[in-house]
Amino acid sequence: MAGDLGNANLCTVIDRLEAGVVILDEARRILHCNRWFNLRSGQTADSLGQRPFAEMFPEAAGSRLEQAIEHAIHDHLPSLLSPALHGTLLPLYQTPDDRRREKRMQQLIHVLPLGDDSAARCLIQITDMTANISRERLLRQQTEILRRTTTQDQLTGVANRRQFDERLATEFHKAQRNHHPLGLMIVDLDLFNAYNTHYGRDQGDNCLIEIAAILKNAVRPPFDFVARYGGDEFALILPGSSEKDICRQAENLRLQIATLAMANAASSLAKHLTVSIGTTVMRPEGEANTHTLLSSADVALYQAKRDGRNRAIYFSLEDGSFKLCS
Amino acid sequence: MFTLGEMQLDALAEIFNIGVGRAASSLSLIVNDEVLLTAPEVILVRREQAIKLLLSAELQQFSTVSQTFSGPFEAQALLVFPESNALEIVRLMVGPHMSIEELSEFEQEAMCEIGNIILNACMSSLADIFHISFDSTLPLHRFGNTESLSVFEGNEEQMVLLLQVDMVISQQCIQGHILFLLSVASMSSLLACLDQYLAAQGLS
Repeated sequence: MAGDLGNANLCTVIDRLEAGVVILDEARRILHCNRWFNLRSGQTADSLGQRPFAEMFPEAAGSRLEQAIEHAIHDHLPSLLSPALHGTLLPLYQTPDDRRREKRMQQLIHVLPLGDDSAARCLIQITDMTANISRERLLRQQTEILRRTTTQDQLTGVANRRQFDERLATEFHKAQRNHHPLGLMIVDLDLFNAYNTHYGRDQGDNCLIEIAAILKNAVRPPFDFVARYGGDEFALILPGSSEKDICRQAENLRLQIATLAMANAASSLAKHLTVSIGTTVMRPEGEANTHTLLSSADVALYQAKRDGRNRAIYFSLEDGSFKLCS
Repeated sequence: MFTLGEMQLDALAEIFNIGVGRAASSLSLIVNDEVLLTAPEVILVRREQAIKLLLSAELQQFSTVSQTFSGPFEAQALLVFPESNALEIVRLMVGPHMSIEELSEFEQEAMCEIGNIILNACMSSLADIFHISFDSTLPLHRFGNTESLSVFEGNEEQMVLLLQVDMVISQQCIQGHILFLLSVASMSSLLACLDQYLAAQGLS
């Protein structure tokens, strides 16, 4: 194949390659380097020719690149140096401007043995990965943003309904498997429509943000979980909770929100913003499903509203009774 | 079929431990932190047994780095980690936690290099001690289940030298395996080299 091209032609091909090529002899001296490498390293072929590689590129001394060169010349084994682990090992720059700003290119380096038959013993091939890496970084950032927007409630920063459904299913199976109780709480802002009409939507939004913050502070991550369940509803998943614990926690939350004393002139219940809470605890066994758990908390919330709002009600799945949390 | 004596297995274990020791110092140099690698034991099994041993590691998703070495004998070398362990290595050596879907070329190449370092070190240790020389392909990294591993393909009878590797980075121990797949002919060439070495040591 080489016979067809001729040596001169091959040299031109190497010179025109869009990758760096450096060829070393047995004494680790630079036998040849191509135009790509000269341009990116800012060194002429004459200044590099016959000089020891480690002398021209002191950053290679003691590095994995030096070991890889040894492997190629001594053991005839090829090596790969990934940008993730070495990045900008050699002082190579895309443009003179990058050189002034010390902005090295990201490099993927292959170090390959060339055999013992000729003076050329080791080929160092360098690929510019800068564009690939910045593209990957950008993609990763976008993935992160996308993940946040698909799982988080944009306004309050707590989980959204979609993530809540997934988490509830997971926790439900976990509780089922371990025979542990699973608590659920739904917190509903009383007469929030009237609040929004009276104070405007921006004020309403601030109010939701503040309440979400209180709920977030009240739970023990990573076990407990808070989500915005609907427009003015939040849901808390509380694995391992007992009836007593969850009732106390529900009442504490109700009081805590009341003590914020967020003025609510539109409320017929109190001078400040209040919440109604429905809560329940289930030991998921056999045929039970998340629907039963959700509707039990809903039933409790409905009861709290019917009893006049601004209260927390517990619904017992065992005997179907309601209890005012205290 | 081959069986290896205690002396032969011990010698192989020692040779490979020199290799993984060298690989550990290369890895330490890269991450600027101590990386320890040990391969406490070598066993020789048939390919089918190797499959069972890997499967017993519970998880069936793997990360593999492979290189084919040729010389006095041919060996397909594989560094195999359960997928979660490979992610852990990438996390400790490259950066933040990522899921398998997010792992880009960037991290895959890092995994490829780590495998390259370990496999080259094992084979060059063997080459040094036996005074032989190998050629090799560049490393190839794959994620996949057992079915997509080449180790489980082909009809040819193959033997597997199987090493468990324990990698310790930042006080975390991560387990994986190194496999050398050899044809029957290659296995007997390796044994010939090994016996020659043992004889030269006055150990046979």
